[in-house]
Amino acid sequence: MSATKASRIGEETRIDKVNAELVTLTYGTIVAQLCQDYDNDYQEVNKQLEKMGYNIGMRLIEDFLAKSGVGRCANFRETADMIAKVGFKIFLNVAPTVTNWASDNNQFSLIFEDNPLADFVELPDDGRAQDELWFSNILCGVLRGALEMVNFASPFPVQMQIEAHFVSDVLRGDDTTEMRVSLVRYIEDEMPPEEE
Amino acid sequence: MSYYFTILSPTDTPIFNIAFGTSKGGGDGIARFRFPDTAQYMNQFIIHSSLDIVEEAQWTNGGMYLKHVDTYPPAAAYISAFLTPSGARFLLLHQPPQLPSSGSTSTLGASSLLGAAGSTTRASSSSVAANPTSPQTEEAVRQFMNEVYESYVKTAMSPFYKQGMEIRSPVFRSKITAAGKKWL
Amino acid sequence: MAAPPRHVSMLSISNSNTGAPQSASSDKPQTPQPSPSPQPTSGLRVPSNRKTIYDRHLNRSRNAELSRASFAYLFAEMVTYAQRRVTGIQDLEKRLNEQGYPLGLRLLDLLFYRSTSTSSSALSSSSTSSSPPNRPLRILPLLHLIHGPLWRLLFQRSADALEHSVSPDTPNEYMITDNDPLVNTYISVPREMNMLNCAAFIAGIIEGVCDGCGFEAKVSAHNQPTEMWPSRTVFLLRFGDSVMEREKVLERNGVK
Repeated sequence: MSATKASRIGEETRIDKVNAELVTLTYGTIVAQLCQDYDNDYQEVNKQLEKMGYNIGMRLIEDFLAKSGVGRCANFRETADMIAKVGFKIFLNVAPTVTNWASDNNQFSLIFEDNPLADFVELPDDGRAQDELWFSNILCGVLRGALEMVNFASPFPVQMQIEAHFVSDVLRGDDTTEMRVSLVRYIEDEMPPEEE
Repeated sequence: MSYYFTILSPTDTPIFNIAFGTSKGGGDGIARFRFPDTAQYMNQFIIHSSLDIVEEAQWTNGGMYLKHVDTYPPAAAYISAFLTPSGARFLLLHQPPQLPSSGSTSTLGASSLLGAAGSTTRASSSSVAANPTSPQTEEAVRQFMNEVYESYVKTAMSPFYKQGMEIRSPVFRSKITAAGKKWL
Repeated sequence: MAAPPRHVSMLSISNSNTGAPQSASSDKPQTPQPSPSPQPTSGLRVPSNRKTIYDRHLNRSRNAELSRASFAYLFAEMVTYAQRRVTGIQDLEKRLNEQGYPLGLRLLDLLFYRSTSTSSSALSSSSTSSSPPNRPLRILPLLHLIHGPLWRLLFQRSADALEHSVSPDTPNEYMITDNDPLVNTYISVPREMNMLNCAAFIAGIIEGVCDGCGFEAKVSAHNQPTEMWPSRTVFLLRFGDSVMEREKVLERNGVK
């Protein structure tokens, strides 16, 4: 499936909507609450956010496949386009740029021009948050969960174990918000791995 | 005109303070309070002693901008107030310059670069801002307050900002400084 | 005359860098040092385009929409997470309420900002008035603010009903009804929690709005299903005594 076709699916898929600010503000309270509960141990907050995202990803994927009706992806490159142009478009109404492919085609970056989760956000001025907290880390988990939990009955050929992490974030004073996504392996004919 | 602007939390904790002078009529934006040594303490004292009046006005006037609410004659200080719906108060103390006397021009000597040095003092004391209760001043303060409110809402929208936290952002401060320059 | 205790805070003001002329020209003021622990003095790093929250227009996302499913998943995670840290339904609802509360304060400021900054007021149905909206001084305008503009901002429609308690014992109780609250639509509550109403989060938002406006209140969410509306929820607002007393005084003084 071509990148343009993926964009079109992303644009055209009909979904129920809510006010974006409700989502933004709700996510903000989740992160702020985690920071409070974990006493500003930002590493731990990142971890918790990733976990939440994983839970979301594994439930969201079926919904996603049903709504978008996307066909099978032939390779990881096509998967990347689908994630960026269909997945993020449908669920966050943004389409990050896919770029910086590794030579083995197993690693790429998503560059986010816009990130509704981070609207209105300024990280705590405590000298640590900008070095330690990945505010939108939930998205890494969503990706991991979604790709690992693809239903066997889905049009997807196989499930994938991936690893995703942010390498930069405008909230930290970086010029871009970039997530690095790596294919760890394909999972074939196995039960989905248990989380923890 | 010299200004002292403060934001108080709903529980009267000061969360932001700034002092500046007028930029209108050739003013250089630097505050020159009448009692420079004690200005910091005096200004806060005067502002806090106006709180009862502000609170009374708060429940009779539903506007956010309450205009000039109080005067403290011993220091020729005027207080204007703006209340956010979420309970923060913006209070602006203005103190007109002392009537031109020998000596007051010398402090403004540096502004001769702007042109007519001799007229600077007179110009600023006769400009709209020099009369804290004139309609023009009320309007200028309203514009200033609205701009502060915009920046304040942006601060308060961040999930990490909790009501009553001191606002330490240098960007916020520069926005307030710019608003003061623009309107006052 | 002795200063009332509420004015004592002026004595402990710590940000004292503003009394002197240098503050007018410096855009990097020294951060006050309330404690001896090391504090960053220069604030946060910003991207090279220097964009910060202060450069983003507050109306930019005003009409933006996102997937309802995204919200539902996020919200469900929030509830699940909260559930792990509490011991019972009451505790859980309290926690959801507390998470909603600061949102209420933020939304209140956002609503008023939007109606001062644009000609079409978010707070009134008529778009002709350009005068800034009024802060609610009495209970009724406050309730209308919640029932109308707040609900529209959050859910793109008004709430379904607004009622006053008919019991003479509870004149301080008001009810706002939502026939089909968004937060309950997609959320399946675990069986052992079937009494839970996730709208406790919305109750917290309402409480934040009330408190922000100076109306101390306790707000709770209650399941009141009907045949037609299985997840119908009533938000019960109970105003504090001080609010009710002030209400009487304001009424006598003709304040509306």
